[in-house]
Amino acid sequence: MLLQLRNVFKWVQQGGQRIFLLKDINLEVAEGEFISIMGPSGSGKSTLLNVIGMLDTFDEGEYDFLSESVHTLKEKYRSNLYKEYIGFVFQSYHLLDDLTVEENLEMPLLYKKIKGSERKALVADMLDRFNIVGKKDLFPTQLSGGQQQLVGVARALIGKPKLILADEPTGNLNSQQSEEIMQLFKKLNEEEGVTIIQVTHSEKNAEYGSRIINLLDGRKI
Amino acid sequence: MLRNYFKIALRYLSKNKLYSFINIFGLAIGIASFVLIMLYINYEQSYDKFEGSENIYRVYMDYLEGDTFIPGDAQTYNLSGPTLKSEFPEVLDYVRFFYFEKMTFQLDERIFEQPLGSLVDPSYFNIFNYPLLKGEKEKVLSQPYSIVLSKSFAQKLFGNESPLQKTISAFRDGKEAVLTVTGVMDDIPKNAHYRNTFLISYETEKTWTDWGSKAHELNWNANNYYTFIKLDPNTNADVLRQKIIESDIEEDTEEQHNIEPIEDIHLYSNKPYEVSANGSITRVKFLMAIAFIILILSWLNYVNLSVTKSMERAKETGIRKVSGAHKSQLIIQSLFESILLNLIAIMLSLLFVVIVLPLYNGITGKGLNLQLGSLSAFLPYFLFILFGMVAAGLYPALLLSSYSPIKALKGKIQTSSQGLAIRKGLIVAQFLATIVLLIGTIVVTKQISFLESQPIGTDINQVIALKGEVVTTKPDSLLINEYKVLEEELKKLPFVEKIAIAQSYPGDSFDNLSSNRGILLPNGIKQDDKLFYTYHVQPDYFDLVDIEFLAGGTFLPSSNFDGKQVVVNETFLKNMGISSYDEILNKTVGFWGENEWRVTGVIKDYYHFGLKSPLLPMVIRYERDVNNILIKLDASAASVAGFESSIAQIKSEWTKVFPKSTFNYTFLDQKFEAQYQEDKSFGAAFQVFTLLAILIAAMGLFGLTSYTVVQRKKEIGIRKVNGATIPQVLTLLNKDFVKWIGVAFVIAVPISWYVMSQWLEGFAYRTTLSWWVFALAGISALLIALLTVSWQSFNAAVANPVESLRDE
Ligand SMILES: Nc1ncnc2c1ncn2[C@@H]1O[C@H](COP(=O)(O)OP(=O)(O)OP(=O)(O)O)[C@@H](O)[C@H]1O
Ligand SMILES: [Mg+2]
Repeated sequence: MLLQLRNVFKWVQQGGQRIFLLKDINLEVAEGEFISIMGPSGSGKSTLLNVIGMLDTFDEGEYDFLSESVHTLKEKYRSNLYKEYIGFVFQSYHLLDDLTVEENLEMPLLYKKIKGSERKALVADMLDRFNIVGKKDLFPTQLSGGQQQLVGVARALIGKPKLILADEPTGNLNSQQSEEIMQLFKKLNEEEGVTIIQVTHSEKNAEYGSRIINLLDGRKI
Repeated sequence: MLRNYFKIALRYLSKNKLYSFINIFGLAIGIASFVLIMLYINYEQSYDKFEGSENIYRVYMDYLEGDTFIPGDAQTYNLSGPTLKSEFPEVLDYVRFFYFEKMTFQLDERIFEQPLGSLVDPSYFNIFNYPLLKGEKEKVLSQPYSIVLSKSFAQKLFGNESPLQKTISAFRDGKEAVLTVTGVMDDIPKNAHYRNTFLISYETEKTWTDWGSKAHELNWNANNYYTFIKLDPNTNADVLRQKIIESDIEEDTEEQHNIEPIEDIHLYSNKPYEVSANGSITRVKFLMAIAFIILILSWLNYVNLSVTKSMERAKETGIRKVSGAHKSQLIIQSLFESILLNLIAIMLSLLFVVIVLPLYNGITGKGLNLQLGSLSAFLPYFLFILFGMVAAGLYPALLLSSYSPIKALKGKIQTSSQGLAIRKGLIVAQFLATIVLLIGTIVVTKQISFLESQPIGTDINQVIALKGEVVTTKPDSLLINEYKVLEEELKKLPFVEKIAIAQSYPGDSFDNLSSNRGILLPNGIKQDDKLFYTYHVQPDYFDLVDIEFLAGGTFLPSSNFDGKQVVVNETFLKNMGISSYDEILNKTVGFWGENEWRVTGVIKDYYHFGLKSPLLPMVIRYERDVNNILIKLDASAASVAGFESSIAQIKSEWTKVFPKSTFNYTFLDQKFEAQYQEDKSFGAAFQVFTLLAILIAAMGLFGLTSYTVVQRKKEIGIRKVNGATIPQVLTLLNKDFVKWIGVAFVIAVPISWYVMSQWLEGFAYRTTLSWWVFALAGISALLIALLTVSWQSFNAAVANPVESLRDE
């Protein structure tokens, strides 16, 4: 078991009223799964993903990640856990415009305090694997959307996470580019056993996963 | 890791050029100003520090005025030192100085006029631990007719030859003394209040002049000597001071001896008969305040800009967090950037300092430099800069790292109301500092022009004082005749309007005035506790310097010099309690053991020393003497060419009469103005640093608005599409600033009112703190701010809204 959410609630207080963003979410994810989260806009997909990714907190319920109880962990341990096991991919890529492709890939390694020589090797490896060696000195703005997302995925992967969380990773891409990214996810999942949870609006993309979770108004249906 | 930080920081700085420029330049100006002012202050505080100086004290006189004693005179009696040493075991040694403003020397056929030297006791080197290059400290001054030369004076006289045992002649009131050079001392550093260039053994006094032996006798009559004492290191100086005051060694109820640390003289002492014009602790404190204000201003700027900028960087921070960055890592990175930026600024500021220093030295008249020796004194300031640097970097860093990554990635950061409040606070603080400095500058400028425009009761325009040193062994009584000849010759020159001989004149130094007490008035009352000052002149003097008579007139030439005559001033009458001219006019007063001084006139008060000192009670005596020849030149000598030819003719007449002599002249009005020199350079410094502060504040504002405008671009576009006019948009963008300046102004007024009244206290005559001073400062600050802000907001206001909306 990679992670487990039990009766998770999240709400915000608005005008004396509780507005639920997540309602009684129960979810088990085993290692090696490829899950797609679907649902209409505003249904809480991103919120759920952020909670799983420990970027956001929740108000009630329990969350175990690799048999650690995330809800009782101190911020510092939580962020270590996160750093160690989770990689994020965003719809709008979120690359640092001031850094080159190579430097963008290197960044997470810096925060993991990995030595320079090892960093170089890992980055070179990643560039190679994603076929972007020729682009390593370019800045994100000099790349196409698909290429940028490729870098985004590579950055998420470089720390060798067990879990990749992707929030509409193909939302800004054309169908051909989408296809490429999805193939990549599939390959990672099948060949390397990386667990993937993606949010998507596309039925087609959802098909790549092994399981679909549907959300409506913060509730699993 | 560090290398990575470094690389990214550099890239960020070079990418955001305006931001980097404003930040670095603003900080550099701030730091450079701070360093320059601190160099000056450091220097001012470094006066009279040498090995053992902490135990050296100057003895001075307090005079009774009303029923309290006030600092009266920096000079003491020749008995003061010996008595203190014998009565108080804490006093290990003393040294007395008789001071010469300048002296004429003759070596073979060459004549030198050398400034600043003294007759000193042999104990000199025991107290002033200055290096002696040649000779033995214990012996060099022990024999009469010995002289110790400063290195540069020795060089001037003897070149590279060894001066030891050579003889030179020195002339005191025309009387020659043949002195043997017994030693050479190092030049006394510039940061000493008493910079002797030659020392003549004290015993020489006794036989040098006719009246020498009388003056040399130990007495409590003539306080013409500076006395310094060396205390046992374990002495509590305050206790000793009290003991000295109470013991009343002189047994005179009108005055008492007091002591002050030699290290304090330069900044804290401003008594009559100082060796040289001293600095002022008020000035130092003011400059220090300005230094800190400017530095803090540049940091505020920096913080404000970085905070604004950090909102732009929120997304970046979010990405880094999502990539696993720890909060502490983000803080360190942000700090690293700010330290890098600060270091660049420091480097640049040092460059500024090095470039500006020669000019700055010219203005301050000090020999400031950035040598390593003074760096230890700089350590606290350096630590302060370091501390400020980290503190200024920390706030944006903390702010940045505290952003929630989800919000940051969504770009939802701008709305932090707390951050906004802090930024408003910073802007108000900046304006506050700017307005305070503006008010300060205006007040200082106003005070100086007040001093300069004040009637001084005398007209010294186009008046020069000739004072050459005549090398002769003739007694004064014979020399007078030669002066007479010269006077007659000079009178014939077409451009000489008036001529008179005087011992002192308006704008002269205190030395030529003698302070006295115990005048016997015509009503038979002897005023033992009332001070009066006296100098002597010849009858034409009053007309030449245009001093007005209220009653009577100048001395009568007919009296043929046998009868003693004086002229007194209004303040004298007031202080002595004389209410009508009849009580004194043509009656006699008594002092100096002579009871037949006939008062021939009462003059209107005039300022002998400028308006920094109060009016003095004056008794001006008639005495025939060889002294300054005052010449009033007519309009033909007003031009540069006219003046040069006039002075050449005067000089040629002078050398005809006195072939063996030096020739010197000064403009009275220049000398008079020179008394405000320190205030003027203070005013100039105030102005320059205020301008720099305004520049920093304006640059900050400029940077800040450029971001506000970018942030509000969409809002402006929408408003314009909906019909807002350009003035309406401008008002929208500018009204906040007006509000903030208003707040700053309200706080600035009482602060600067208080501070500047304190400063004005230091002047005997002061200008008023008129309301318009404050209004002018407030309006200037407002104008500067509005101009700066409008530069940016105008562009935004006139931009085509379609453009700005499309950008989104
Ligand atoms: N801080 C917040 N305060 C109030 N409401 C919030 C907050 N964060 C999210 N929401 C609301 O929670 C709901 C879920 O948002 P979420 O971003 O998870 O939706 P989503 O399913 O990802 O939608 P989309 O497909 O448009 O990305 C939305 O209605 C949103 O308005
Ligand atoms: Mg979403």
